[in-house]
Formats: sequence, structure tokens, C-alpha cells
Amino acid sequence: MRPAWSDAFLPDAVELVAGINAAPTREWAFAGASGRGVRVAIVDSGVDKTHPAVVGSFAAGASLTWDRDLEAVTTEDGDHPDLFGHGTACAGIVRALAPDCEISSVRVLGSNLTGKGQVFAAGLRWALDSGARVINLSLSTGRPDFFGLFHEVADEAHHAGVVLVCAMNNVPSPTYPSQYASVISVAASDPSDDEIALLCAARPPADFGAPGLDVEVAWLGGTTMKMTGNSFAAAHVSGLVARILSKHPHLRPYEVKSVLRAVATNAR
Amino acid sequence: MPSSADSLLGELSALAAALGPAFAPTGSEELLGALTETARQLFGAAACSIALVDEATDELVYTTAAGAGAADITGMRLPLSAGVAGFVVQSGQPVAVSDLQRDPRFARDVAEATGYLPTAILAVPVMSPRSVLGVLSLLDRDPTRPGAERDIETASLFASQAALAIEGAAAARYLGAVLLGQLSEAATAGSDLADVLRTAAAAETATPAAGAPNRDLVAVAALLGDLNRHGPRELRLALLILHEVLTYVDGRSSRPGP
Repeated sequence: MRPAWSDAFLPDAVELVAGINAAPTREWAFAGASGRGVRVAIVDSGVDKTHPAVVGSFAAGASLTWDRDLEAVTTEDGDHPDLFGHGTACAGIVRALAPDCEISSVRVLGSNLTGKGQVFAAGLRWALDSGARVINLSLSTGRPDFFGLFHEVADEAHHAGVVLVCAMNNVPSPTYPSQYASVISVAASDPSDDEIALLCAARPPADFGAPGLDVEVAWLGGTTMKMTGNSFAAAHVSGLVARILSKHPHLRPYEVKSVLRAVATNAR
Repeated sequence: MPSSADSLLGELSALAAALGPAFAPTGSEELLGALTETARQLFGAAACSIALVDEATDELVYTTAAGAGAADITGMRLPLSAGVAGFVVQSGQPVAVSDLQRDPRFARDVAEATGYLPTAILAVPVMSPRSVLGVLSLLDRDPTRPGAERDIETASLFASQAALAIEGAAAARYLGAVLLGQLSEAATAGSDLADVLRTAAAAETATPAAGAPNRDLVAVAALLGDLNRHGPRELRLALLILHEVLTYVDGRSSRPGP
């Protein structure tokens, strides 16, 4: 008799898995990698695919809104404009670091706040089901009633091998999903000439620091803006993760985190 | 309706109307005004404003402002789907832009209305534990002064203070509605008085801005009224469940933060 889940560890059932490089270097992690074959979902305000900093390979996206009459989330597959410019900014940062990745836009920011938590969670799930390997989230909620829902989706992503990269929020209380252990939480650091420009935090809940202060980002109408925010730092890490996964597709999210730590500028 | 009920209703309505102002923290508007002016001076900014979400119209309403264009911007309404302030409210993320004029759409509406075209903006969400109430914006702050590198954090502290003042005032505003809602449900179902009180409670909750949690409170009061009619045992059971919920919620909110 064997307890549940133990069958996978029967001598003739144990599968070979890729080993972990004990000390991954930047060369090992990134050299020759362009993000090709990796889909990055930008869960945000939409993405302007025609922006010079964003053009390239795209996968189908979706726009999610809250229907007040139905009191439910409605999902419209396909193209949609960027309402604010923020999603385009994040996409531009990802594209710069992983030029050949496939970007998909999941728009969850719309014209109203009603049902925002549900829309956000549904967008996250849509991204997860769409085949994305990396999901960039510059949004989070502090509402305790969404703790369980987001936790469920974040765990699902983790088990499916999908890396969630979240911008840390700026409020003193916990926010979800940016502070779950299963996601990669990022805050802004100073600009750097180093392309990888990654700092590893000594203490959680933030995992990493990446450029997000006064960074030049793509914006609406083909323009660029100089902006500050943790969201831009998160997009930087999403780009790095896409690069790593294009070269090492077998890595699980916790391994990706370890690789990022190993290649951080401040790693000893 | 009997005249005694009429007179009772008159007294109750007067009481309900008086409850809000009676319990309202004094000078919350003045506090917000002082807060924006203090922030403006501390950050060396040209202007500071607070805009609150009006969920009924999906707009941001500029309620308080200090500095350049303050008189013109106060009372202005902008859609939640545009501009820096709209994004900050939608995402709950603070954002700073240091060359605003590069995007012709960004904040142009504000700039045109106020006659002041800002170069830089720092906007942080004004948040309660439950929701985003609005946004605090600083225009053209002085980036060279000592401590400027912590501006997002400092501005967020101002926003937290603003949130406390706004929540306190909103809670007081709905005291009357809660009272009327409770009374309406406690009255015999179907009586004229119950209907009238229910209508009065609905009218009270329909007053603008940040009403959703308070409408829930009215609903809770109404449910307790219903239970009371079932009998003391049922009411005691409901109280036990509420205590359990509260214990659970307290436990969860005491989860260690960052």
C-alpha cells in the first residue's frame, strides 16, 4: 500500500529531470538567448504593437472588463488599444531584453474600478491558460477577500511552470499576489549601464531590484517618457526570465529564481 | 400614515440627518486642505491635489488642491480611463513622470483647464485597506532638495493620512443611513413606515463618493433586523457566527506584513 502521490517515486516510475547547474553564470544563463519560443503575457492596460520599441512577435491577447448588468467578468479575445500607455511601456522593456519573445497583451485596466479584483484575477487566469511561460504583473490588490483567489491562481501558475513576475506595491500592508512566496517580486533600483542590472534583495518580501527609476519607456502614440515605478522594474525581470527560459526551457519557477539570484550584480 | 408615525418619521429623519455631522470628525476638509499645502511646500512642488473616485460615474473628482491652478482644478471631473491619475487609481501603483509634455494626451486636459502645464508629476494612490479612494498628485516637485529620492514613499505617507481623513468623514456621513436602514427592517415588514424608512435609507446611501462598503453595512444591519424577528435564539446564533467571522478576519489581518 502506498499513500497518495507516492506512485511517482516507485523505483521504475521515477523520471529523469534536468539537473541544476550548481553555479549558473551570466554566460550560462543568457549567452545567445533572445527569448525565442517564450511567450510573455503583459497583464496591464493593453499594448501598442506598432510602437517602434515593441514591434516584433505577438500572440493573441484578450481584454477583460466587468459587466455591471451581468455582475461578471466578460472576456473579449483579440486586439485592443493601450488605454494608458503603461502596458506598452512594460512590453517595450521586455522586448529590449528578449527581442524574439512572443508578447501577448491581457488588458485588465479599463474605465472603471467596479469588479477590478475579479477582472484582474480572471486576466491572470486567462494569461495562465493561454500558454504564457512568463506573466508580467504590475498590479496587485490589498483587499483581503482576494487573498485566497490570487493564491490559488499563483499556486496553479507555479505548478504549471509559469513564472509570475510582480511589481511590489508601495503600501505598508500586504498586497496580493506580489508578496506570495511563489512569485518573483520586484522593486525599482537605480539606472545601470549593466544590461542585466539585477540586484538580489537580502530580505523578503521583495526578491529583486531592477531599473525602475527615471527610465526611458515606450508610451502612447509612438512616444517615449521618462518614468519611475516598480512596474518598470518588474518588466525588466520579465525580460530576463524570458531570455533564461528560451535557453533553459526546463527550469521550474523556483529554479529561475535561483538563477536570477546567482547572476545578480550583488551576488557573491 | 397615522400622524403619530408621521411625526416619528420626521424626528427620525432629523436625527439621521444630524448624526453624520454630529459624529463627523471636525474640519476634515480643512485637514485635507492643510495636508495638500503642507505636501506642496515640503516637496517644493508647484501644486498638490487630491482627487477622489466617484464610482457612480467612473470619474475622478478633484476635491482639494493647493498651489498653481488650485482654484480651477477643484471640482474638476476626469474619466478614470485617462491620464496619470486614472492609471494610478486603476493599478494602485504610484507613478512618477519626469517629462510629462512628451505625451500630448497625458494630463493635457488638466493643464488646459488650470493654465499650468506641468513638466513632472508624482501620483500616489490614496488607499484604504479595502479599496483605492483616490489619488494624490504633486506637480513639478523640486528634485534637487535633500531626501527627494524617497519622494514616492513620503508622498504615500501623506496619501495614507488623507485616506484616514476621507474614510472618517465618509463613515460619519453614512451613520444616518445605517440608523434608518436598521429601523426600517426592525419595523413590521410591509408597513408604510418600513417602506418610507427604507426609501429614506436608500436616498442617504445614494449620496456621492465611496459608498460601497457602507451600503454593505446597511445590508448587514437589515439582515440583523430580519433575524431579530425570527427570535432571540436565531439572533444569538447570528451573533456567534459574526464573532467567528471577526476572529477569523482579525487573525488574517494580523498576518505579519513587510
